Amino acid sequence: MNQYFKEYFDVKTLLICLALVGMGLLSIYSATFDINNAANFHRQAVWAGIGFLGMIVVMLLPIRTLQRLAFVIYGVVLFVLLVVLVVGSTIKGTKSWFGVGGLGGQPSEFAKVATVLAAAAYLSRTEVSITRLKDLIVTLVIFGVPMVLILAQPDLGTTIVFFAALMPVLFWAGASNFILIAILVPILVAFGALFGTAAFLIAAAIGAGTLYYFRENRFAVAVAFGIALAVGLSAQLVYERLPAYQQKRIATFLNPEADPLGAGYNVVQSKIAIGSGGLTGKGYLHGTQTQLNYIPEQWTDFIFCVPGEEFGFVGAAFVLGLFAALIFHGISIAGLSKNRFGSIGAIGITAVLATHVAVNVGMAMGLMPVIGIPLPFLSYGGSALVANFLMAGLLMNFYANRKEH
Amino acid sequence: MGPVIDSGEFGSRRRQGVLRLVTLIVFSVLFVRLYQLQLISHSEFGRKSEENSVRTIVTEPVRGYMYDRTGKLIVDVGPSFAITATPASFDSAAARELATLLDLDPAVVIDRVNKGRQYSRFSPVRIKRDVDFQTLSAVEENLYALPGVGYDVESKRLYDYPIRAAHLLGYCKEITDAQLAKGGDAYRPGDLVGATGLEASYETFLRGEKGFEYIAVNSRGQQIGPLEHGQRDVPSQSGFDLVLSLDAGLQAYAESLMTDYRGALVAMDPNTGGVLAMVSKPDFDPSIFSGVTPANDWNRLNTDEAKPLFNRATMTRYPPGSTFKMLVAAAALEEGIVDEQYRITCTGGFRFGRRLFKDLHVHGSVNVVQAIEKSCNVFFYQLVLKVGLDKLNEYGRRFGFGKTTGFDIAEETAGLLPSAAYYDRVYGKNKWTLGNVVSLGVGQGEIGVSPLQMARYAAALANGGTLLHPHAVERIYDRRTGRSSDVDPRPVSLGLKPETIRILREGMREVVQEPGGTGGLARIPGIESAGKTGTAENPHGADHAWYIGFAPFDNPRIAIAVLLENSGFGGAKAAPIAGKLMQRYLMGEAKPDSTRAYAAASENLLH
Repeated sequence: MNQYFKEYFDVKTLLICLALVGMGLLSIYSATFDINNAANFHRQAVWAGIGFLGMIVVMLLPIRTLQRLAFVIYGVVLFVLLVVLVVGSTIKGTKSWFGVGGLGGQPSEFAKVATVLAAAAYLSRTEVSITRLKDLIVTLVIFGVPMVLILAQPDLGTTIVFFAALMPVLFWAGASNFILIAILVPILVAFGALFGTAAFLIAAAIGAGTLYYFRENRFAVAVAFGIALAVGLSAQLVYERLPAYQQKRIATFLNPEADPLGAGYNVVQSKIAIGSGGLTGKGYLHGTQTQLNYIPEQWTDFIFCVPGEEFGFVGAAFVLGLFAALIFHGISIAGLSKNRFGSIGAIGITAVLATHVAVNVGMAMGLMPVIGIPLPFLSYGGSALVANFLMAGLLMNFYANRKEH
Repeated sequence: MGPVIDSGEFGSRRRQGVLRLVTLIVFSVLFVRLYQLQLISHSEFGRKSEENSVRTIVTEPVRGYMYDRTGKLIVDVGPSFAITATPASFDSAAARELATLLDLDPAVVIDRVNKGRQYSRFSPVRIKRDVDFQTLSAVEENLYALPGVGYDVESKRLYDYPIRAAHLLGYCKEITDAQLAKGGDAYRPGDLVGATGLEASYETFLRGEKGFEYIAVNSRGQQIGPLEHGQRDVPSQSGFDLVLSLDAGLQAYAESLMTDYRGALVAMDPNTGGVLAMVSKPDFDPSIFSGVTPANDWNRLNTDEAKPLFNRATMTRYPPGSTFKMLVAAAALEEGIVDEQYRITCTGGFRFGRRLFKDLHVHGSVNVVQAIEKSCNVFFYQLVLKVGLDKLNEYGRRFGFGKTTGFDIAEETAGLLPSAAYYDRVYGKNKWTLGNVVSLGVGQGEIGVSPLQMARYAAALANGGTLLHPHAVERIYDRRTGRSSDVDPRPVSLGLKPETIRILREGMREVVQEPGGTGGLARIPGIESAGKTGTAENPHGADHAWYIGFAPFDNPRIAIAVLLENSGFGGAKAAPIAGKLMQRYLMGEAKPDSTRAYAAASENLLH
C-alpha cells in the first residue's frame, strides 16, 4: 500500500500547496480582519475547500480524458472570454469579471490552464512537430487568441503571464534558438517603440544582430526582422490611437515612479512593510503597515508583504522556499513524464506559476514594475485560488501518470 | 497516446538543465533582494514604518503645588484649555475663520502653525492658550470647518489663598525660542516655564515630566487607537511639590501692613533661616500671569515707575543706616578694641579733618549698650576709626554682607560692602580718606544691603551668633512616591564670643524695651523683644526707614527686617509694622496697642 501510494501520489505538491494556502489564509486574515470582519478570510477559506475538491478530481481523472477534453475546455474558455468582453462588469477599468447568479469569476485565470492544456494536447499529437512552421504557427495561435482577448479587457499582467508561459513551452517542445529569438525580438522592438524613436532604433539594431547571430537561413532572418519592425511601428501607431486613460495605464506600467501616489506609492509602502519586518518580523497581527492599511488592497496583489512584515525574513524566505521547491518539482515531473502531454503540460503549468511568483514577489520588493497579477495560493481571489488548485491537481495527475506512454 | 518522446531536443536533459538554471537565477535574485530589504536595510525601513504609522501625543504633566509651613495649599493648579492645530492636517484656508473665533490676527495663526511644523508635522501646536469656555464651545461647534484643529487641556496656576507673595513665588511665562533650544526634549513650543521667583529656580522640580501616548494612524492619517494597547505609552509625571517655610497667615497680614508703602519686609525663623514672610511693595497679582498675560497688563507692570515687578526684598541695595551699628560694635568688642565699660562723651557732633559728622542729639556719656539703645552716632564715628576698614570689612563679610545669601530665588543682589581695594578702584590709590570710613560707622555712605541680608543679620543676633542660610523651600515632596527631601539649612557660626553677643543683644533689647530706646513702637505687649532702627540717607529724596528686630528676647522665634522707602525715620513707621507682625506670629493675632505705651515710645522716635 505504502509503495503504491508513493508511486502514484504526489505528496510533495500536495504539502507545498497546502502550506502555501495556509500561509495565504493567515495573511488574508491579518490584512482584513479589522476591515471587514474577516469576511475575505471566510470566503477565501470556502474557495480553498472548493479548490481542494477540484484538485482531487483533476488528479484522479484519467490523463487521456484530460487530453481529449483539452480543446473542449479551451473552446469554452475562449467563448467565456468573448462574452466577458461584451457584457462583463468593469472592475477598476478592466472588464474581466463574469457574474453568474451572484458568483463572480475571472475567466482569464482559467484561460491560463486551458491554454496550456490545449497547447500540450496539440503538441503531443504524433504528426505534430514544433520544428515545422505550420505547427509552430498553430501553437502561437493557441496562445495568441486568449492573449488578444485578455489584452482587450485590458489585462496587461495576465497577457504577460501567457507570453512568459509560451516561451518555456516552445523551448521544452524543442523549438530552435532562432525561433525563440524571432518571437522575442518583436516584443523587444515594440517595447522600444513605446519609449521613443531612439529606443526603437536601438532595440531594432540589437534585434537584428541577435537574429543574425542565431540565423538558420538569411530569408528567415529577413522575415523575422520584418515582422519585428512591423510590430514595433504598429505598436507606436496603436499607442497613439488609444484613449488617454489607456495611454496613462501603459505609461505607468513603463515607468511606475512617474505616478508616486498610484502604483509607485504601493511599492514604496510594500518595501517599507517587508523591510521593517527584519529577521523575525513584528509578530502575527502586529505589522503596522499591514494593520493600518498602508498598502491598498494588500490582500490581493501585495499579500507577500504580510508574511514579510509580520514573520520577517524567516517567514518570507519560507514562502519563497516553498515556491522554489514547487517550481523545481514541476520541472522534474516534466522531465520524468514519458508522455508529451503530461510533460509539456507540467512545464506550461510550472511556467505559469513561476511567472506569477517572480513578477508578484519582484513587484512587492520593488524589482519589477507594478503588474497586477496575484501570488499563487496566497492572494485573495476565488478564481485564482481554484485555478491554482486545478494546476496543482494537474501536476499531481502528470506525476501519477508519468510512466504512461 | 503519442509516440515515445523523440530523440530531438524535446524535453532534453540539456533543456531541463537550462530551465533549472533560469529558475535558480530568478529565485536567487529574489532571495538576495529579500535579504537586502529585511536584514541590511532593516533599520531604515523600520524607521520609515514607525514614522508612517505612529503619532506621538504629548501629555502634559501637572505642575507641582506649593504649600506653606502649616500645609495650606497656596499655589494650586487648575485646568486651562488651549486651542491647537495639527500642522499636517491644518488647512491654511481655515486660518481666517479660526483667527476670528480666537480673536487673533490670521497671520499669527499661520505663523504659529508654521513654527510647530518645523518641530513636528503631526504634533498639535497651541494657537491660543487659556481660552474661556465660550471660545472653546465656539471652536468646537465649528470643528467641521476647521480641519486639524483641536484643544489641549493644560494646567494653569491658581492662587486661592488670599496672599500674593508674587516676588517670592514668581510666575511662569511661555517658553522663549532660546530656552527651547537649550531645554532639549523637556519642552516644546508653547510650554510654560518658570520665569521668576521659586517658579523659575525650582523649574526642574516643579515641571514634572511629559508623558507620551503612541497612537496608531492609518494610511489616511486617521487615528486608529492606542499603539500596542498603550503598552509603550509613558504616562506624564506630576512635578514635585514644594513645602515652603512661609506662613501664609503671617504673609497675608504682612502684605496688609505694607499696603500703603513702597518697601519690603522679610520675616525669618532665627533658628532655621526659613523665611516666614516676604513682602515687596508695590506688588502685583500673580494670577495675571497664570494663563495668557494680556499685553497691556504686561506693559503696565513693566513701565510703572513704582516698579512693581522689582523684588525689593532681595534686590534693593540701600545703606543699612544705624542698624549697622551692632556690626561695628561686634568688630570692636571681638578685637578687644573696646569693652563694655568703654565710654565716650557725645557732644552732638564729630569733627574729622575738615568735616563735621553730625548726630541728632547730644547723648552725653554713653557706653556701647547705650550707644546702640539711643543710636548715638558720635560713638560709632569714633569706634569705626578704631576698628579700621579692613576689620570692618572682615566682620561685614562674616555677617554675610557684600555677597548673595544663596536664597532660593535667583533675583538677589550681593549688595555692597566696601574694602580698601574697592575704594582704590573707585577713587584711585591714596585718593580716598578715612572720612569715607567714618560714615560706614553709622551705616551710611558707600554700602548697600538688601532686606533679606538684614533679616539674616537680625536672625544671627537673635540666635546667639549663628549665620543661617535663608531659604523659602523647606521640603521637596514627591507626590508619587510620598518621599520628600528636606532642605539643609547649613548654619555657620560667626565665631563671636558669648559676651559680645550678650552686649549687642542687650543694646537691642533696650532699643525697644527701655524708655530711652528708639524702637519703642515695635513693642509687643507681654513679650520682650529687641531691635534696631535705621535711616538710610537718600540723596534723591526722603530717607529710607529701616527696622530690624527679633522676639521673644530670651528665646527668639522670629527675626525681621522692614524697609520703607522714602519714609523718614526707622522708628516711626517701620518699627510698629515689625512689632505688629511679630506679635501676630507669636500670639496668633495683633492685640491693639495701649495708647499710653505708644505715646511714651513716641518721644524717642527721632533716632
